[in-house]
Parts: sequence; C-alpha cells; structure tokens
Amino acid sequence: MANHVTEWLGAYHDGELRGARLHQIEGHLAECATCQANLDELRNLSALLQDTAPNGDFLLTERFVANLALSMPRGSEQPQPRNALKIGWWLIPVGLLGIWLFINITLLLGSVVTLAADTGLLGGNLAWLQGNPLQMNWFATVMNLFGNQLGALGREILSALNDANLFTKQLAGILIPQAILAVSYLGWLLSWWLRHQHQLSQITVSFPQS
Amino acid sequence: MVIPDAETEAALIAKAQSGNRNAYGELVRHHYPGVINVIYRMCGDVELAQDAAQDAFIQAWLHLPTFRPGTSLRNWLYRIAINAALDVLRRDTKTADADFETLSMPDPQAGPEAALLQKERTVAVQQAILALTEASRSVLVLREYGGLTYHEIAAALDIPLGTVMSRLNYARHQLKRSLQPHFIQMEIENG
Repeated sequence: MANHVTEWLGAYHDGELRGARLHQIEGHLAECATCQANLDELRNLSALLQDTAPNGDFLLTERFVANLALSMPRGSEQPQPRNALKIGWWLIPVGLLGIWLFINITLLLGSVVTLAADTGLLGGNLAWLQGNPLQMNWFATVMNLFGNQLGALGREILSALNDANLFTKQLAGILIPQAILAVSYLGWLLSWWLRHQHQLSQITVSFPQS
Repeated sequence: MVIPDAETEAALIAKAQSGNRNAYGELVRHHYPGVINVIYRMCGDVELAQDAAQDAFIQAWLHLPTFRPGTSLRNWLYRIAINAALDVLRRDTKTADADFETLSMPDPQAGPEAALLQKERTVAVQQAILALTEASRSVLVLREYGGLTYHEIAAALDIPLGTVMSRLNYARHQLKRSLQPHFIQMEIENG
C-alpha cells in the first residue's frame, strides 16, 4: 500500500494525534501491514527502553536531600527582584489612577475657586483668578494692527476664530492628559489579561512517577 | 511518597522563592526520582548522574526567583537537568568508557542466564542512547523517561514542535537499527 504514514507513527504511538489526523492514521493502520509492523516495532522499542530502567542504583531520596542541603549555598535568602518587579507592576495602575485623581481634583478645585472669584466671593485681591482670558494673543495683535481697517464681517469672523481657538485650547488642556492616562490604563489592563490567560493555559502541573 | 496537588506545590514554590529551604527540600523530595532518571539516561553513568542531579537542584535553587508561578515546575527542572547532564558530560571525558557493569541491578528472581541477558540488554540500550546526538537524546529521554508531551518538550528545550517530532523520529530510527538483535531476542522470549 502506497502513502505510508511512517513519519506520523511516533506521534500516534505517543498519543499526540487528534481529530482528522488521528482518524487518518487509524484508517491507514487498519489496512497497511507495513505501517502496522512499524508501529509494533515502536512499541517494542518503548518496552525495551522501559525494561532497562535502573532500579536502586541511586542515592535514596532522603540521603540525596540531606546531601543537597549541605551543598546548597547558605545565606542566599532568595533575592527579591521578582517581588520588586511584581510590586512595580501593580504600582502602574495605582499610579495612573493617582495621577487621574490629582488632575480631576485640581481641575475641580480650580473651577470652584475661579467661580468664587468671578462671583466676588473671594474679594478683589484674587481678581487675577477671574475667568479665562477672552482673547488669544494673535487675536489681540491683529485687532490692534488692523481692527480699524476690517469691516464688521471680518471682525465677526476673527472673533469666531478666536472663540473656537479658546475653546479647543481649554478642551485640549483637559482632555489630552486624560486620554493619555486612559490609554495607558487600558494598555496595562490588556497586558494583565494576556498574562492571566497565558498562566491559565499553563496551570496544569503534573508530577513524575515515583 | 505523597504526591502533592498543584495547589500544595504552588504554596511550596512560593515559600521556596522567598528563601524557605525546607519548602525547597520538599520540592526536591517530590521531583528527585524523575530528575535523576532523566539525567541518568542522558549520562549513562550513576556517579555522573548523581553529581549532575546535585548541580541541577543547586542551579534550580539559585534561579528559583525567576521561575514563573503557574507553569510546570517539573518541566522547568527537567530543562535544568538536561543542561546539567550535558555540562557534566562535557567536563567528564571518560564517559565514553562508562562503567556499564553498574548500570542496572538484574532481577534477583530471574535465573543467572536471564540475569545476564537482561544486563547485556541494559548495556546495549544505554550505549545506543549515548550514541545519539545530544539534541536527539534530550528529546528521546524527556519523552521516554520523563514522560513529557511533545508540547512540554518543545517548551522545555525551547524548540519548535516539528523539531521535537523529527528528532524523536530520528532517535527512534537510530535505536531500532542498533538494537535490532535485542528485538529478535525479545520476540523469541515472548514466543
């Protein structure tokens, strides 16, 4: 029979095949005497290898453990780089949340103080806190130089551009840092999730026969 | 020997990683039989295997903080064991003339002729394994004596799965060729 499956027999013998490949090999073996003979040889080989396993030549476990304890380097209380890394890893989200809280509390307090200054609750000494500037520098400069030469429509357009510029400046000042924080935090979360999935996939621990 | 469940082993690893020598001793106790068996098959010499096992467990102790909890300690130890065995072999130049007289204890219940046959077979098998290349031998030993799956071998030796298969096929092919007379003898014995 042609198309022997010799290269897959070892994996079949070791129970490593699944699904379609397993069915293919089983089907082939049922009909091919050559491959069946090769498989029998593999089984005989494994039996021969196991048959010659050493039995009792080594130090007993307790003796070995005792000898090892004497040879193990003393005073090497295990270094803590891994713990340091672990702590650092968990400090990342804490730090990000801390920065986020700081920014928001600062903005909130700033708004409250500005509002209080605007309404005169803080008296005249804090007048410098009142409101945001209503003109961008470029707008003030243009108006000083060319204000008289511009028509009403030109001034309206420039004023609208000035308002849009003020709005985007304030918005960017608030949003960009928060967006950076959000992306960093989501990146950390994704990284944590991937590590968690990887560990779950490898969590099965088996032990050698004793 | 009591075999610990994964949770107990994880707790022992955590203690050992923080420097607890007793916890590490427990781990050694559990894994020594598997590790010494793998190393012995790599070396083919009891004394060398014993030395390499000690080296391996000391190396494992020193590098235990780098072990990732949740992964298989056994596979990690086997990887260290294979390297320790190869190091010992490179240091020891007389291994080619290993003392095969002490390789294995013959079955005391068998007759003298059967015992002699078994001893010859043991010597032949060990010589055939030692004749393999280091790469093929490592894969074969982890599969046949360590009981690792192909994926575990690939992870332990840091090689692709396809390489595990091809090295294992090559090793078995070589062994079948060199041990052919013993197969015939086995068939005669089994009738």
